[in-house]
Amino acid sequence: MGTPAWLYYLFGALMLVVAGYCFVLLVLSVATHRPAGRDVDISHTLMGIAMAGMFVPSWAFGPRALWELAFAVLLVWFAVRSMQSIQRFGLHVPHALVHAVMSFAMILMYWFPAGLVSGSGSMDMSMAGRPDGAHLDAGLGLLLALVFLGSAIFTLASPNKGASHHGTHLPAYAMSAAGTGSPASPHGGPDGTTGEVEAMVAIPWLEDLSHVVMCIGMAFMLILMV
Amino acid sequence: MVIAETELDSAPITGSSPAPVDQQRPPRDLQRTFQLLLATVWLLDAVLQLQPFMFTRGSNGFSGMLNGMAGGNPGWVAQTITWNGSIVYHQPVLTNAAFASVQFLIAFGIVWRRSTTYALGLSIVWALGVWWFGEGAGGIFQGGATPFGGGPGGVLFYAVLAVLLWPSEGSDQPFVAARTVGVRVAQGIWVVVWGLLAVLALVGSGRSPQALHDLVANLNSGQPGWLAHIDRSSATLFLHQGTTLAILLAVVCVVVAVGVFLPPQLTQVTLVVAIVVFAAIWVAVQNFGGVLAGGATDPNSGLPILLFALAYWPTNERRSPGAHAVSAPVPMKAEV
Repeated sequence: MGTPAWLYYLFGALMLVVAGYCFVLLVLSVATHRPAGRDVDISHTLMGIAMAGMFVPSWAFGPRALWELAFAVLLVWFAVRSMQSIQRFGLHVPHALVHAVMSFAMILMYWFPAGLVSGSGSMDMSMAGRPDGAHLDAGLGLLLALVFLGSAIFTLASPNKGASHHGTHLPAYAMSAAGTGSPASPHGGPDGTTGEVEAMVAIPWLEDLSHVVMCIGMAFMLILMV
Repeated sequence: MVIAETELDSAPITGSSPAPVDQQRPPRDLQRTFQLLLATVWLLDAVLQLQPFMFTRGSNGFSGMLNGMAGGNPGWVAQTITWNGSIVYHQPVLTNAAFASVQFLIAFGIVWRRSTTYALGLSIVWALGVWWFGEGAGGIFQGGATPFGGGPGGVLFYAVLAVLLWPSEGSDQPFVAARTVGVRVAQGIWVVVWGLLAVLALVGSGRSPQALHDLVANLNSGQPGWLAHIDRSSATLFLHQGTTLAILLAVVCVVVAVGVFLPPQLTQVTLVVAIVVFAAIWVAVQNFGGVLAGGATDPNSGLPILLFALAYWPTNERRSPGAHAVSAPVPMKAEV
């Protein structure tokens, strides 16, 4: 007997929920022409779908090379955004950095897949290990898992709700950080039907929650790979 | 309001760039930061609890691991441990899911300010339970609770940290650990802990070269290549210099125990020594608690001892000028 299958399905379903939620945010940001956090929405959508396929192999689709390429592009994007942020605001830990690390971890997961097999043996993972026997260094896996768990905890505790998607340099969050008001939605005020939907969906704490779930899911997968 | 600006990062720590937000921020609440670090460790423990072998029945599973802790303990202690092991044996999925849930609850409970005290209280009770039933009372009754191996039990440090980090208003001066319990009590706890570590380094099998060698050699299997290489060196060193190293560790612990009474600069030196020594032990002897070999429920004592030591790091006036209102959250600069 190993990890019960329902646990993998639970994590897989959670990953899909995150992907679906972030996809809705993405559609809203396009519809309202607001680019803030769009890159994070794209990455979480892709990560959610990819992670769901790792937890439940029957849900996986698409060539592995394409997923690797997508996460490589995201890695470069967030790395560049991190450097730009440091250039502009001085030495600090940029918000984009954790998303760069998450993209890096996704690439590693595709390079060194773990063979997840349930107790019933019904869940032979389609990505069951590399033919050459190479595997992710356990130390690196643990380090990444710790970073993601730390990100989850500090995101939940942050008074700057929604910062996991939008950072803290956005004016609304800057005001909040200075103690001059409660965090306003970085998506701005409602505008017609789209605005009503946005007001229901683009809730800062919900955005943070999606990041937290993604972090815990990735950390769990990395621990399984160790 | 249409916001096209997408420079969305945390505020700068250093640098000459404009930082209007940072300048208006209240000072960082160090006690809160430590609480969140402790929550992160609890969250790691919760995720480790979900590993496949934890749901497995038998000698290779969680119940086997628990029963293994009974050996060498007095009968009445061993009996309580095997009693718990038998419950886990009969309901491995249910019990392990419950154990993981409690740890998730503690981690998230610490984060939510309204439940921080309850979560820390629960963590103390849970840590003591795990120490007894899951760590076999840290090996104290067996005479094998050497700090090299994690004695007197890594999870005990979770409980100590919970006490020291109990939420309170006040200053982080002269160090975070003193904020709730006061300087004298914090110093007392420090002396007791390091004194205990010094004693445990010398008593029982703690100073036996063969026992120390076996401690590392038994962990070797399943470790990544680079760590297995370090293990072989550690095992050889222990076999030849085990007693000397045990005495040296005891001396270091005594010096660290006294260090908290010294002027801040000297305290920092002793803390650096403690951190370096226990970081080395955590890696080279404890092997990160066996996490990398996929057979651990926690990272052993190395990580919580590092947190414990950092909680005694002297704080300066400029960084923590005054009282922190518990109800007033402060933003974290490092958005990891």
